[in-house]
Amino acid sequence: MASERSYLGYATAAVAVAAIPLSFVGPEGLRLAVIGLLMLAGPGTALVLLLRFAPTRSARATGALPLAIAVAIAFSLAMSTLVATAMIYARLWAPPAGVCILSAVTLAFLGLALKRPQRVEVRAK
Amino acid sequence: MTRETAASLPERTSNRHETGARDGSVKPPTHRNLGLTPSWHVGALAAAGAAALALGVWSMTQVDPLLIGGAGLIGALPPAYFIALALSLAGFVTSLSLRRLVPSLLTWQVLVTVVILDGADPIIHGLPRLEASFRHLGIADTIAQSGQLDSNLDAYFSWPGFFSLLGMLSGATGAKDLMGLATWAPIGINLLLLAPLLALARRLTANPRQAWAAVWIFYLASWVGQDYLSPQAYSFVLMLTLIACLLSVFGGWAWPTERTRFSRWLARNVTKLDGAVPRQGVLDLPRTDAAALVVVCALFLLAMTASHQLSPFAVIPILAAMLLTGRLRLRFLPVLAVLLPVGWLLFAASTFLQGHFGQLFGSLGDIGANSLGALSNRVSGSDAHLLVVYTRMAEVALVWILAAVGAFVGYRRKAPWLAAAAGAVAPLVLIPLQSYGGELLLRLYLFSLPFAVCLTVLPLMSDKSAGVGLKRALGLLVMGAVLATTTVVSRYGNDSMESFSEDEIAVVNHLYSTAPTGAILIEAVRNTPWRFQHYADYDYRALLAAEPGPNAPPLSCDAVNQIAHNAGAYLIVTQSQQNAAELRGSAPAGGLHSFVTTCAANPGWTKVFENSGGVIFHIGGVKNGK
Repeated sequence: MASERSYLGYATAAVAVAAIPLSFVGPEGLRLAVIGLLMLAGPGTALVLLLRFAPTRSARATGALPLAIAVAIAFSLAMSTLVATAMIYARLWAPPAGVCILSAVTLAFLGLALKRPQRVEVRAK
Repeated sequence: MTRETAASLPERTSNRHETGARDGSVKPPTHRNLGLTPSWHVGALAAAGAAALALGVWSMTQVDPLLIGGAGLIGALPPAYFIALALSLAGFVTSLSLRRLVPSLLTWQVLVTVVILDGADPIIHGLPRLEASFRHLGIADTIAQSGQLDSNLDAYFSWPGFFSLLGMLSGATGAKDLMGLATWAPIGINLLLLAPLLALARRLTANPRQAWAAVWIFYLASWVGQDYLSPQAYSFVLMLTLIACLLSVFGGWAWPTERTRFSRWLARNVTKLDGAVPRQGVLDLPRTDAAALVVVCALFLLAMTASHQLSPFAVIPILAAMLLTGRLRLRFLPVLAVLLPVGWLLFAASTFLQGHFGQLFGSLGDIGANSLGALSNRVSGSDAHLLVVYTRMAEVALVWILAAVGAFVGYRRKAPWLAAAAGAVAPLVLIPLQSYGGELLLRLYLFSLPFAVCLTVLPLMSDKSAGVGLKRALGLLVMGAVLATTTVVSRYGNDSMESFSEDEIAVVNHLYSTAPTGAILIEAVRNTPWRFQHYADYDYRALLAAEPGPNAPPLSCDAVNQIAHNAGAYLIVTQSQQNAAELRGSAPAGGLHSFVTTCAANPGWTKVFENSGGVIFHIGGVKNGK
């Protein structure tokens, strides 16, 4: 299970890092896929990994896995919305900068998750 | 560990799964110890699902959109579609009946059902459903290009959250056209709903099998069609996640139940009605993680508030209901849920509030007008459309009756039911506020559906975690088949007016290439797939609303001439406008055709473009400007 978490973390980090240059330049289809994925699930997946909403066996058996997926998606969408809306109201509209903020949040959460002691786990029943 | 101790549990519990896990004496009944199911059973069911998917998609590609009439899509669907639907329904029920619960198989079966039931827009039409989808694309495009809000333009700019999100996606990827996203939105949004629905149902039902059945029923009974690219669909995802998260992590009483007379009375009665409520397990996070999740929940509320007018207000009574049934221990959250949308209305949406005060509060307290009055306004139009409207009403009634029966069964069986019932009923307290443009009842049905379906499955599902027996499985299949067939009628009943053709899009594109910026563009009936670009660049007008109104003026050439009197105007009449007028009865049969024929002969009217999707006229003004 720890390896599943690691792979998920690496994949999330890869998307977050790739989104930064792609928010400025790149083929439209690739930009849409990577940035779309970041906005849909990036910061939320990192948050869920930080909070130990891991897809462990016990989580799968007790329903924590759907909750973890739901929180990952909803938090990513909410963060993307709030960043975009804040840029509008602050009259600082710069979509690539917004994507960079989301990438930074994602990477920050992943960094915190790495630093966190492994023994802290969600106990689900 | 759950927050409840094993000692506090009564001897008889409705949830053996969780009890066993708590006291450690029994192995939790996961898929590993519920008995063996041969792998080929799982493989065969997955293959049956794949066959249903292939047949369903193929059958939809065979539909001729020209055959879609007043009763909607059902008249144009080939028999193969219904075979595919039946196969997918049987596949899900059989998968649910296996001794071993296989979540991946159930997910696959639900996915197949979602594509068959909700895939008509991308597969049959290849274009987004509803003219509102096109408008939403236009608002996102405007924001992406300008990065500014024009609150005087319309209400959307006072709740710009969702459109800012789309604008950021468009702006950061260089994708100017999000039409594909809008076309596939019904399938995408329903798939996004799966995880929060399942997480919520898991907290409202006795075991995972009931939860899966409830989620399946949700998809079969969700006919309202708000799952297009819209702020309400987005907010619905956040809302379900918020409530699932709160029930999972922050369950329990918000105050000591022995503190006051009222709290004692409340706790006693809640326990009497549904003793299973406090026994429901919750996730036990470390304190810092729980605090972080509180912030996350507040962010969900804020994002919803910035995106949609109604959804945040629907959350308030649901949270209050959970608080009063001992399922939410964060007492400040309902308060925050009130403060955020009210604060937004007063400060961020003040321009809208000033201009629409009467509209917002004019029908405050008028329960009759907001409920039955709004409902009766929808019972109009052609005979075929009336059949669709009555089918919708029957489906809503069926779901509510089944939910009421389920609540009674849950009470008798001492299964969890109260929280689901409270969540299902709570949104109805919004009825006295306003009619929400006549759509309030539709929206309330959608808000209550995730809770109601947890009750509808109770009579047909055991509280034990073991598989479903043959009789119960057949009952579930019959219920699913009735709801799914009804939903094909109710969801796609307006298909002739809500879906559009490539020809109509070509007419609109020609209009934009012809009319100069700032020109007046007139639609005969408010049902045109336009404004997906140049949202703020033209003066858009409509002669008739799609739904009939008591004071609606008849279609006349004079009305157009009057609008075009000064600087001229362009009139667009499309096939879906004609379908809308005939379906909803806003114009007499053939009225739009005779309007076009008569007016075309008027002096100053010039036909600019015509194809099978519609026609464009230019009407010269006094200044003879374009």
